[in-house]
Amino acid sequence: MMTGTLKTRQMSLGNRIWQARYLYLLLLPGLIWFVIWCYIPMDGVLLAFKKYNAKLGVFGSQWVGMTNFRRIFITPAAIQAIKNTLQISLTRLMVEFPVPIILALFVNEIRGRRTKKILQTVFTFPHFLSWVVVSLILSNFLSASGLINTVLESFGFQKVNILATVSFFRPLLYMTSNWKEAGWSSIIYLAAITSIDPALYEAAQIDGASRFQQALYITLTGIRETIVLLLILAVGGMMNAGFDQIFNMQNGGVKQVSQIIDTYVYEITFQAAPNYGFSAAVGIFKSGINLILMLAANFVAKRISGTGLFG
Amino acid sequence: MTRTNIHNNVYSRRRVSWGHTVIMIVLTVWFILIVIPFWNAIMLSFMSQGEGTRHPAALIPYGFTLENYKNLIARGGLGLAYQNTILISALGTAYGMLISTMMAYAFSQRFPGKRFFLLMMIFTMYFGGGVVPMYLLIKTLGLINNLSCIILMGGVSSFNIIIMKNSFENTPQALGEAARIDGANDIRIFFQIMLPLQAPLLATFSLFTAVGYWNEWFWSTLVLNKQGLQPLMVYLRSIVNTIDEETTHFSSAMTTRANVFPMGVRMCAVVMTMLPIMCVYPFLQRYFVKGITIGSVKM
Repeated sequence: MMTGTLKTRQMSLGNRIWQARYLYLLLLPGLIWFVIWCYIPMDGVLLAFKKYNAKLGVFGSQWVGMTNFRRIFITPAAIQAIKNTLQISLTRLMVEFPVPIILALFVNEIRGRRTKKILQTVFTFPHFLSWVVVSLILSNFLSASGLINTVLESFGFQKVNILATVSFFRPLLYMTSNWKEAGWSSIIYLAAITSIDPALYEAAQIDGASRFQQALYITLTGIRETIVLLLILAVGGMMNAGFDQIFNMQNGGVKQVSQIIDTYVYEITFQAAPNYGFSAAVGIFKSGINLILMLAANFVAKRISGTGLFG
Repeated sequence: MTRTNIHNNVYSRRRVSWGHTVIMIVLTVWFILIVIPFWNAIMLSFMSQGEGTRHPAALIPYGFTLENYKNLIARGGLGLAYQNTILISALGTAYGMLISTMMAYAFSQRFPGKRFFLLMMIFTMYFGGGVVPMYLLIKTLGLINNLSCIILMGGVSSFNIIIMKNSFENTPQALGEAARIDGANDIRIFFQIMLPLQAPLLATFSLFTAVGYWNEWFWSTLVLNKQGLQPLMVYLRSIVNTIDEETTHFSSAMTTRANVFPMGVRMCAVVMTMLPIMCVYPFLQRYFVKGITIGSVKM
């Protein structure tokens, strides 16, 4: 080993590259993949400063400077979408982020192994269905003739079309998102809980701590670092307010509260006369803020745990 | 001193069972809330128009009919949609895993330029061009209405590659070194020694990739809109739209004459799409769970 490293260090660069030729060969398909599917679409950065002409392509189209970006801030629908994105993301952070933590603490208290396994299987299952499927199941459940309304009616309430009611739509987003994802997200916390030293619990029991105190002072404290990192990660992704879910659940009646940047870009891009330059500008505006948020998140994460979010 | 301790213990034990009961009630409610919508959907798919409208909230089977399923199958396309999805998922998983594992192994070794290439990959986690340029690229490549588009553009994830790279780094390098002395090159070492050692990890990531392909709907909706090319998710969306239009435009005449229960047929389509995942998930759950815990160790 020792001589091996010494030898590589003494070799010339060309020699070292030749030595690693098979590694480059293994790397090549992946690099091609990233170039085609990640780097070429980054020409959207150029597109955002141009008036797109299909005949001339992205590179040949005419430059229009900041026109597309300026247009974002004079288009009421775009401003509304940005506002909605931030509002929904912030609320998600407050009402969705804590749920998996609480769920993990609760699941951790289950005594029977079988019960634990069955419950966990059910809790995590919806994560593996797409929002296309989930939204259909839930729309049946929440429709005017669905289960929820039938139950409400039997208690003497009026029937309401829950999905088409503006004031219900956002709470519904948070609830259904928790319904689908909380069980899955709680697994990360449960994994963190299993790495807590059992001696801490024994010591606490000897000191007479109740289960609640143990959960609060040992379990919750033990997973503090995981919580902080996931919170930072969530802040880094704030510009994504949940396209899959909203796209599949929204309807014309609730657009004013449901339209987010991603659904807005979709709508203006895939219509009769799209302005690709403007669509790209909205997309780049979003990606740009995302990049800043992610870099900030990564910086904070590095400060706290010593490593960045992605290696 | 001792006495108070004993007293405390008894006291806390009593509080344990009380708190425990509350927790179990909350978890049971959560369990029920997840199961009921699925259960209700399955029940409705087997109910006739009359019973379905009378008991839309059915949790027990009111009557049993296969009419909805017959109606769904008579509309055609379900078999083809299954075929497309299975094809995409199977080929996509093989393709994605091959590219990812080769890349992950290369990144676990030392070579000039490694840092640059690694950063190049990680940067894509922070910045993307967005939907519009991606769509234009697909158009330029002539991949509209081509199944291979969905296969080619998916299956690779920087995050998974980093986790696999760490796993390769943690395998004893001596095994590879021994093979190298015997004259094996990196490609042989990778396929014959390193890859087989990662079998459990491969199982986990293959499952994630397969489910990802199975559930892909966004690009499929945009790219594969020709009849016969639709994968399951697109098929599901279009069949639901068709049924919705039928119920609004032809109102009751069409539905009563054909004795079709629109909600029932919709739920049939839903059940048919999620059936495979529903059947395999309980058995493969531990692999899925492993996937997320490997990732969290890194974090």
